[in-house]
Amino acid sequence: MQKIALSERPGWRERAAELGFTFADMGGEPYWDETSAYRFTLRQIEDDIEDPASELHEMCRQAVAHAVASEEWLTRLDIPRPYWDFVERSWANGEPELYGRFDLAYDGSGPAKLLEYNADTPTSLYESASFQWLWFEESRDAGVLGPTTDQFNGIHEALVARWAEMAPQGEDIHFAADRENPEDYATVEAIAWAAREAGLGAHYTGLSAIGLSEEGQFADDQDRVIGTLFKLYPWEDMLRDDFAPNLQPSQTRFIEPPWKAVLSNKGLLPLLWHLFPDHPNLLPAFFAADLEAARKGEPTPFADAIAAAEPQLARGFVTKPIFSREGAGVVITEAGRETDRAPDDSYSHHAHVVQALAPLPEFDGFHPVLGAWIVGRACVGLGMREDRARITHNLSRFKPHFIEG
Amino acid sequence: MTDLTTSTTKPRRKRSRHVALVLAGTAMLTLAACEDDRVDAQAFPDLDSCLAAAREDGLWFTEDDCQTQFAAAKAEHLETAPRYESQELCEQEHGAGACGADPAAAQQNQGGGFSFMPLLVGYMMGSMLSRGGGVFSQPMIRTPGGYSTPNGNQSFAGNSGSARVPSNTFARAPSTIGQAPMTQTQVAQRGGFGASSTARTGTAGRSAGG
Repeated sequence: MQKIALSERPGWRERAAELGFTFADMGGEPYWDETSAYRFTLRQIEDDIEDPASELHEMCRQAVAHAVASEEWLTRLDIPRPYWDFVERSWANGEPELYGRFDLAYDGSGPAKLLEYNADTPTSLYESASFQWLWFEESRDAGVLGPTTDQFNGIHEALVARWAEMAPQGEDIHFAADRENPEDYATVEAIAWAAREAGLGAHYTGLSAIGLSEEGQFADDQDRVIGTLFKLYPWEDMLRDDFAPNLQPSQTRFIEPPWKAVLSNKGLLPLLWHLFPDHPNLLPAFFAADLEAARKGEPTPFADAIAAAEPQLARGFVTKPIFSREGAGVVITEAGRETDRAPDDSYSHHAHVVQALAPLPEFDGFHPVLGAWIVGRACVGLGMREDRARITHNLSRFKPHFIEG
Repeated sequence: MTDLTTSTTKPRRKRSRHVALVLAGTAMLTLAACEDDRVDAQAFPDLDSCLAAAREDGLWFTEDDCQTQFAAAKAEHLETAPRYESQELCEQEHGAGACGADPAAAQQNQGGGFSFMPLLVGYMMGSMLSRGGGVFSQPMIRTPGGYSTPNGNQSFAGNSGSARVPSNTFARAPSTIGQAPMTQTQVAQRGGFGASSTARTGTAGRSAGG
């Protein structure tokens, strides 16, 4: 894994604008940045990212199976009690998942470490699946990248194939997101294109425009019944909205399925560590409340695991709210001193988890984090973000990658 | 048991052969037309005229496309063409002689109901190659003054020839068989989603993703 300076494609900004990629610059800073790219060997991609991420997803499925059958874990994960059955049923019925993105810390050697799983509402899909692909094809055509290079990016084709597995030909899917947020909308549109290519009907509706019919079904902004709803909107919010009591009776099929509420929750991290202690791709993680209890000598079922992890936690740990997006509420503590804190604390009123620190590597003053894309149940591509800060956030740059050697 | 063609090694190529490149914005996923968003399209009254055109000049479609897209248009016509209670009502909307009995209704032996529909009078193919999407098609039906696709958001003077048309011409019409999803309903209440953000502040314009 190396960071290689490369010449930018002439006119790529105009091309981005023409394609509708309107947020290539955000807040006066580049968001898409192709002045350099990360190079991986095929072995690094396959052995260190692709296979471990697919395995992590299977572990997450086991974690869901464990959590939905456990009142204790559903409580810890702060899933509202009235909807436990709704979440559990969706798992028991085998409702299929569409996509997700693991955020991994990796420096080219040793096992990649799972920082978190964006299993419910991952964004940056268009950048990863499409614009990064275009960059690669054009850079290779221009001779900037060699003829034997490749890119880990089967995301679009995998999405098309997954949609075809998930819904019969011609089925109408509604897509809901916040229309005002171009980044969210781009992700939704990339997924909707894949659905169309799979032979499905794709219809957009604003999330807040969704209505409830007299028969208790959901309807779009044109009063048409919603059969299947892809929502770029977190389950933890769906389950707390006014329409939450109508979710299950509506008979709507939701994508991602309700059981993703277990995964789109940083309480997943202690759950994984509990089920798969010392797994090479996991970091020790605990609920902050359990950690405090153990340190006070109060009884907790995790006392032994906490004691075993204390030396590692003493070197450094990260505190995160169980619900948060884009780095909000993250605090880094090293050797007992707070060394970094995300400026956005809007989620910090939730319960917290504590995870051992896996510092992001540094390349030319930037800290890259790997986004390993899962479609269906397999890892199918990579998207990278990097930042000068150690806590990646919503304005962090997107960096392309390629495979060589 | 040996099978030499089956190997545990992964495919050499790690990337997609094509992707969808264009972000058209919300217009693309709604029925609103977008003038900037035009694609090459060609209409044919029947399969043979398409095959002949594909043989004659190397356009963006092949004979294979004619075959598959004609079949797709026939299927989509059956699924999405408007349905009427009577031949008369149908002809009021689509013109004299433009309607027929609904073969799907006959098959399902539904008896009565909405069992007349405009006939398939051609199909339009569009090139979505710039989107990485290949060739798409829509069935064409008569309107009193010309021709249209089943969702009616584009009308045409004829059922042959080429044009640049809005790409949403190829958006599927809502299904008219089976009802259920996409049927019009009476909405009693709106706005029940999106209010409760688990973030305490600053919900406006904030990404729901991560």
